[in-house]
Amino acid sequence: MRAVAIAGIGGIRFGKYGDRSLRVLGEEACINAIRDAGMKPRDIQAAYVGNLAQWEWGQGLLIGHYVLREIGLTKIPITRVENGCATGSNAFHEAWYRVATGACDIALAFGVEQMTVASSEKILSVFTGRQHAERGGDMGNSAPGLFGLLARRHMEEFGTTREQMAMVAVKNRKYGSMNPEAQLTQTMTLEEVLKERMICDPLTLPQCCPRGDGAAAVVLVAGKLARKYNPIPISVAASVQVSGTYPDDRSYTFFDTDVRAAAAAYKMAGLGPEDIDLAEVHDCFSVAEIVHYEDLGFCRKGEGGRFIEEGHSGIGGKIPVNTSGGLLSKGHVIGATGISQIIELVRQLRGQAGKRQVEGARVALQHNGGGFIHTDTASCFIHILRK
Amino acid sequence: MSQNDKKRRFIDDAWFHDFGQGLSLTGGRCPACGQTYFPTKQVCPSCFNAEQRKVPLSGKGKLHTYTRSHMGPAGIQTPFTIGFIELPEGIKLFSLLTQCDPWDEVLSVGMEMEMVIETIREDEEGNEIVGYKFRPSRGASS
Repeated sequence: MRAVAIAGIGGIRFGKYGDRSLRVLGEEACINAIRDAGMKPRDIQAAYVGNLAQWEWGQGLLIGHYVLREIGLTKIPITRVENGCATGSNAFHEAWYRVATGACDIALAFGVEQMTVASSEKILSVFTGRQHAERGGDMGNSAPGLFGLLARRHMEEFGTTREQMAMVAVKNRKYGSMNPEAQLTQTMTLEEVLKERMICDPLTLPQCCPRGDGAAAVVLVAGKLARKYNPIPISVAASVQVSGTYPDDRSYTFFDTDVRAAAAAYKMAGLGPEDIDLAEVHDCFSVAEIVHYEDLGFCRKGEGGRFIEEGHSGIGGKIPVNTSGGLLSKGHVIGATGISQIIELVRQLRGQAGKRQVEGARVALQHNGGGFIHTDTASCFIHILRK
Repeated sequence: MSQNDKKRRFIDDAWFHDFGQGLSLTGGRCPACGQTYFPTKQVCPSCFNAEQRKVPLSGKGKLHTYTRSHMGPAGIQTPFTIGFIELPEGIKLFSLLTQCDPWDEVLSVGMEMEMVIETIREDEEGNEIVGYKFRPSRGASS
């Protein structure tokens, strides 16, 4: 594999855009990323788009082609990918792979999703419908349910507290208030988070990410071209994809996908968790962030609750996590989420993160888990970026 | 057939079988490698053997974890309680929990649970969808 760098980033604020089309949201992010790279669309030789679904009516057709045709990008291979909640990261990984293998020099990865056009019932029914392959959903299982189950077992085995989990929401909402692209920008106190409506015990509403609409795009280039397009290219030191093993014989307090993906990513980058200056991890629920600290090696197994409580995952701590505000503030805009995480890290490594800047950041880790089957995430992507 | 032409049907017919002592939760066992799984599958996921034996799964297990859900699919009244049950066959089974109120006093990680077959939810036409649930065991310890 050859060196690959990120030359351009472009996001739009996540929010409610029911009055605009999915296509227009995608266009805006792609235009921003291509401009940021100092390119023209015709410079791009391949494109991957992440879009999980068009939620009101089912699977989307050709969304990448519709978006890119509008900005004059045609002829090249354009491919839509889907991998649950890690759909955007999968698009990035494929674009990286195409450049890293030398199949092309410049590739675009973008993600776009429009979820507020559908009702909560409609969205839940996608996971619980009669034709759904896995039957847990129509027996009462749900994403919050799975993470409530994870939380209870983690509390039981390691003494993790409700307060420690709520602290994740407090931290991420604080950083969200500093991010102009976050959807939720109001800070919350620990007491407010704990007193909110219960969704799945012990997870109250602010500990569950909202959905939303939005898009995010990045341009990847072969390392040899990096300085031609951007004065501060950010290199991709590792790009890893794994799928779940759904263990029955392990305690439900970790994700097997996380652990294997992290080991592979650290090996590929020639780095360890001690080298990571900051991270964006998949905080779909507050407890998930605590488990990811452990799975990614930021702290030892069982010490994730203390890691947040002692401030190690805040700005100024050992490894600041989710300085973007995370999914808990930005919302989980599924196809765009993974790429939005990468955009935050590129901003940080470029020194362009404003009030939430992590000083001196040189190495950053992105983690995105996709979908849930039985006891494991179906897919997991980890990227390590380096200045 | 009950009143108002409402029907009762299993959530999945393959999940239950009468092995001679009433309905049991039904798994598959691979005669080649001994792997047991639920539900039955087309091939053994461990060794790809296409033969499998239907076997009754233990109706008892330990509560691995649980939560109270205040949201869920249409047809199940909220709040409800769910958990993972560890069956002696080495299977972690997702299940609705029943007869466990007040849930946060009655339930504890590691406690013995037993299966009951009852209505899970109503479908869009008002039919009763029947499946398995687990409740705290009424064995010798209680």
